[in-house]
Amino acid sequence: MKTISTNMAGNVWKINVAVGEEVDEGQEVIILESMKMEIPIEAQEGGTITSILINEGDFVDEGEAIIELE
Amino acid sequence: MSWKRELEELERRKELARQMGGFERIERHRSKGKYTVRERIDRLLDENTFHEAGAIAGRGVYDEDGQLVDFTPGNFLTGTGRVNGRKVVVGADDFTVRGGASDGAVRGKQEYAERMAHDLQLPMIRLVDGTGGGGSVKQLEEMGHTYVPVNPAWDYVVKNMGTVPVVSACLGSVAGLGAARVTASHFSVMVAETAQLFVAGPPVVKYGVGEDLTKEQLGGVKVHRSSGAIDNVASSEDEAFEQMKAFLSYLPPNVWELPPVQKSNDDRYRKEERLLEAIPRNRRRPYKIREILPLIFDQTSIFEIGRYYGGGTVTGLARLDGHPVGFLAPDPFVGGGGLTAESCEKIERFVDLCETFHLPIVNLVDQPGMAIGLGAEKKGTIRKGVRAIAAIYQATVPMIEIILRRVFGVGGAGMSNGHGLNLRYAWPSGDWGSLPIEGGIQVAYRRQLEESENPQQLLEELTAKMEQIRSPLLTAEAFGIEEIIDPRETRPLLCEWVDDAYRLLPQQLGRTSHTMRP
Repeated sequence: MKTISTNMAGNVWKINVAVGEEVDEGQEVIILESMKMEIPIEAQEGGTITSILINEGDFVDEGEAIIELE
Repeated sequence: MSWKRELEELERRKELARQMGGFERIERHRSKGKYTVRERIDRLLDENTFHEAGAIAGRGVYDEDGQLVDFTPGNFLTGTGRVNGRKVVVGADDFTVRGGASDGAVRGKQEYAERMAHDLQLPMIRLVDGTGGGGSVKQLEEMGHTYVPVNPAWDYVVKNMGTVPVVSACLGSVAGLGAARVTASHFSVMVAETAQLFVAGPPVVKYGVGEDLTKEQLGGVKVHRSSGAIDNVASSEDEAFEQMKAFLSYLPPNVWELPPVQKSNDDRYRKEERLLEAIPRNRRRPYKIREILPLIFDQTSIFEIGRYYGGGTVTGLARLDGHPVGFLAPDPFVGGGGLTAESCEKIERFVDLCETFHLPIVNLVDQPGMAIGLGAEKKGTIRKGVRAIAAIYQATVPMIEIILRRVFGVGGAGMSNGHGLNLRYAWPSGDWGSLPIEGGIQVAYRRQLEESENPQQLLEELTAKMEQIRSPLLTAEAFGIEEIIDPRETRPLLCEWVDDAYRLLPQQLGRTSHTMRP
């Protein structure tokens, strides 16, 4: 099991993927709102999404896992 | 009656020294995808320019008649050579002789290398492999006693940071003193897959703290490209050499000479239409700064340093009409471009580098301020922030600020010396203040909003009024900003400025008041 994590703290503004979807490395998966900007977060590795650990509006910390893949 | 016989003996010894650690060890070394020390020096330097010092230093084995029967060269090579025609000092470890450790070393050679760089005032290039001269248990056995350690030549290592460019490459599994020699530099690069860097390797780590990791897991490029220990990563040894040579091409050979100006093929009056739309009108949208940089600087001149450490700020070297400069720029994709503990450290080190070698600084500013939140507080971000700001205030090299978008808070204000001439130009996308208005209105007008019958409408009215006040043209009317420019004029403006900046540099040559620390 692999995870995608954030590289900064912020609020989850938009989730652009769904469970079961296949994503590539570098693909934009969510958009964080941080420092008053909409920052896309990219997948560090590719795979099929098994679980999305956050909801839109949640606060996430730097380095927090947001999506699980295999 | 001549000395021919002695020269023949000399040549014989040189030939023995060229065997390095012997055929088997060389093959094993090469099979790991690594070049030998002599191959590295040949590939790094201009052809036939390596002039070796201490070529026959090593350990000889003699028979009863005092004849040399075997010879192991010392595991550190040094000498001078040329890089793109410019003279340098090289110091390189030979991993095929005792893994670069001190029991395979010849005393004095490492120190001689650093001394040459310092006294001849030439750049120091370190090609580090293995323990880089660090101690080994074998040596204790040979000596029959231990010793209080001293880092060899460290007085010169420290002095050289304020004297000549020091550039190092991590080319193998480098630990301890070797790791120190890599990182005590102005620019360091490590090679993916074949190189690792750590204070101590996996066996010592397992025994010391119980962590069980492979060399790659402990100190490979995945760890260090974003740790701040080294500056850049290369995909091969040849690429590492290219990066080192590129870095050196922007710098003078020492602090008493000007940075080398090249002839430029890039029109200094180039005005790029794309700059007019480079910053999104939607304030929440980030933009790709690396697409903007070649529209401003000489197109092929951008050399980024430390991309993955403190990524909210981009630091690097570039040229304007052939003149080397340092630049700072935002990457809004990383934390909105805000100042983090890491990017503040990176900025401080980078400004010190430019100050040391008299590189004028171009500061492209889009700064929302220092990172906020508990994670940032725990890292002491404000302390790191004020250090970076102090470095900017202390810098005496000519500096110019181009405001691309935001300047907010202590972080934004600190990006330029607001008490000096503070030469700066703003794009029409400029957006500044102590606090951003979003969120600020709710705080300032909280009572009115709570008491209002239609708070949403009141908020919209207040926001619309603030939008008007926010215009950078109104700031200019009050002379709060000296000049707003058409973004397409940025390159011609900077090329004009760089001529003025270089006119001031000769007065500043020499050592800075405090020697830069690694």
